Amino acid sequence: MNGLRVAVLSFAHEHAASYISLLHDRTDVELLTADPDFATAPADELRGRGFAARHGAAYVETYEEALAWGPDAVVICAENARHRDLVLAAAEVGAHVLCEKPLATRVEDAEAMVAACDAAGVVLMTAYPVRFSPEFATLRALVESGALGVVLGGTGTNNGKLPAGRSWFTDPELSGGGALADHVVHVADLLDALLGEEAVAVRAVTNRIVHGDDPRVRAETGGLVSITYAGGAEVTVDCSWSVPDGAPTWGGLTLQVVGTGGVVEIDPFGAHVGGVVAGGAEQAWLGLGENLDALMLEHFLGCVRTGSTPGPDGRAGLRSLRVVAAAQESVAAGGAVVRLTPSSAR
Amino acid sequence: MPDRPTPLTSPLTSPLTVGLVGSGLMAHAHAPAWRALGADLVVHSLDGAPELAAAHSGRVARTLDELLDVADVVDVATPTSTHLDVAAAALTAGRHVLCEKPLARTASDAAALLGAARAADRQLYPGHVVRYFPEYAVLRGAVRAGDVGTPAVLRFARGGAFPAWSPWFADEAQSGGIVLDLMIHDLDVARWVAGEITSVFATRRSVVADGAPHALAHVVLTHAGGAISHVRGSWGASHTTFATSFHVAGDYGVLRFDSADAGGVRTDLAAVASGGQERPEPAAGESPYLTEIREVARAFTSSSAALPDDHPQHPRVSAVDGVIAVELAEAALASVASGAPVALDTAARVRGLGGTPEPPSGATLAVVDRTSAGSPA
Repeated sequence: MNGLRVAVLSFAHEHAASYISLLHDRTDVELLTADPDFATAPADELRGRGFAARHGAAYVETYEEALAWGPDAVVICAENARHRDLVLAAAEVGAHVLCEKPLATRVEDAEAMVAACDAAGVVLMTAYPVRFSPEFATLRALVESGALGVVLGGTGTNNGKLPAGRSWFTDPELSGGGALADHVVHVADLLDALLGEEAVAVRAVTNRIVHGDDPRVRAETGGLVSITYAGGAEVTVDCSWSVPDGAPTWGGLTLQVVGTGGVVEIDPFGAHVGGVVAGGAEQAWLGLGENLDALMLEHFLGCVRTGSTPGPDGRAGLRSLRVVAAAQESVAAGGAVVRLTPSSAR
Repeated sequence: MPDRPTPLTSPLTSPLTVGLVGSGLMAHAHAPAWRALGADLVVHSLDGAPELAAAHSGRVARTLDELLDVADVVDVATPTSTHLDVAAAALTAGRHVLCEKPLARTASDAAALLGAARAADRQLYPGHVVRYFPEYAVLRGAVRAGDVGTPAVLRFARGGAFPAWSPWFADEAQSGGIVLDLMIHDLDVARWVAGEITSVFATRRSVVADGAPHALAHVVLTHAGGAISHVRGSWGASHTTFATSFHVAGDYGVLRFDSADAGGVRTDLAAVASGGQERPEPAAGESPYLTEIREVARAFTSSSAALPDDHPQHPRVSAVDGVIAVELAEAALASVASGAPVALDTAARVRGLGGTPEPPSGATLAVVDRTSAGSPA
């Protein structure tokens, strides 16, 4: 097998550590990294050459050098607002793209990214690892087999701790918002894949009660989003950063789907060995299950080799971003219902 | 409302004659609770009264008037659309009334019933039994004690098989459907836990598959203190196991409960052979219906007149709470119909009805010293 050249661009998102580690361990990949924007981050956040050294990755100082290396593919872990420029630059040199979620902070940016990758003939994939969970595969099979009957709707939760390791997450200029921007897209993407239809109405309410006294927090930490799909399914999503700092795990994602055939609920991050450790001072949470990042990278590299369209592609990233944008518009309008016209992005 | 009084450990001091109207699921749940407290039962129902009376050593009243003649207090467990007429008749006859939830089919009927209780100077309590389920009572107490800090995002869910045991549930004109009949429990509890409400948004999907009805509905509440609550109700396929859950996140912690993972007794036994001896019901502590009816009986026997909300013998749920719960459900149904959120002000409404609003979430919580509070490890 020929080695694929893969460049990881930016370490703004801490998932970069996971991707670097997984790519580094693969014998079919040559890895190069760059994180020139490290200077814009607080000094206490490990970025740049130091981060690359810790994870054993080759490093160059500029994106230009990384792209001049001739990568077959890039993995973009920049701040959300900086995804667009890097995707366009990668497409320009003919590199396939795996981009962190959310795909962008504005719908028009995501549209430009999809168009640029289409024009360049490169794969654009959105990093939605939960799509690759075996639990979701089971849910999808139960819907597709008809076992769940007509889907009436569902409830999704994606709750987590306040993202504390990287300060840009709570800076709306760079992140695109708070919990709405961070946590709605995963559930929205699962529903998009499950239902095969788009949202037609979105309504959201938010608050900033959890971590309300934290000066780092400049956007909503709590949110409930009501989504109506074209076929009539009614869904509510809790996207809150409501997991206390001291909790034994970062958070999780659940999706309960109600159909005429019954109810199915998945909890892809729920399997764990629990208990009390450290002499009673700590709750244990020893997670079990597949490494979803590994499954996602495997899928992406397969698409890079074959040119096939990835499961969550750029259009999927765009569609779920439309739901977020509508939710933000609803909040700005005091909780009004925002109607969406189906896009051609399918 | 005051702290919970200590449980009544002895039966009623003087036997109370309870007129139980109705013979459905709730009448069957209430009858053994009244009997456990030593009350005498008189049952009136369009059908099923003899069987219910016989099962609980009660008598049958052939008419409502006959029941009102002999009953000290009245328990209304009839279909929702008849609550107003039956309960108002009992109040007008000078009887205290426990009325199954929802208090009435419409908000205006519920307010009229409250008016009838006031005019008669008699006690009226809605059977919002979920406030008596220990997990919800513990949740309310913990939130009020500041255990999660200021409540921020709350989720309540409740669901089971579509109630096919009685045809009136499927008739929205009679039952108000899933929102008024089922979700009213959690609409009431969300307000009890997180405070008064300023906005209601709801969606609902109903599907008939193979002749069987199914319904799923979501309600999102905005509370006066800024908290937001999601209430989900589902009535599904006939095999669906009844389940409830909640998840309450505040700025100082999270509390959660799921009936599917609630401890207790788990069994994995072979099916009982035909003609074999039925196995005992799993031990589950006191029935919440008994807790509820004990508290209501204590109020009934403490005074022949109405009790003020802050009276130590007043149950944890008032008639005003019952009216507000129906108004929340009606606002949710209006939101379903219009597709838009419905603004309301339950605090003002409670005051207008002569009640005491729930404090805004977080604003009047017990002061928690977060530096010296016990480690939440």
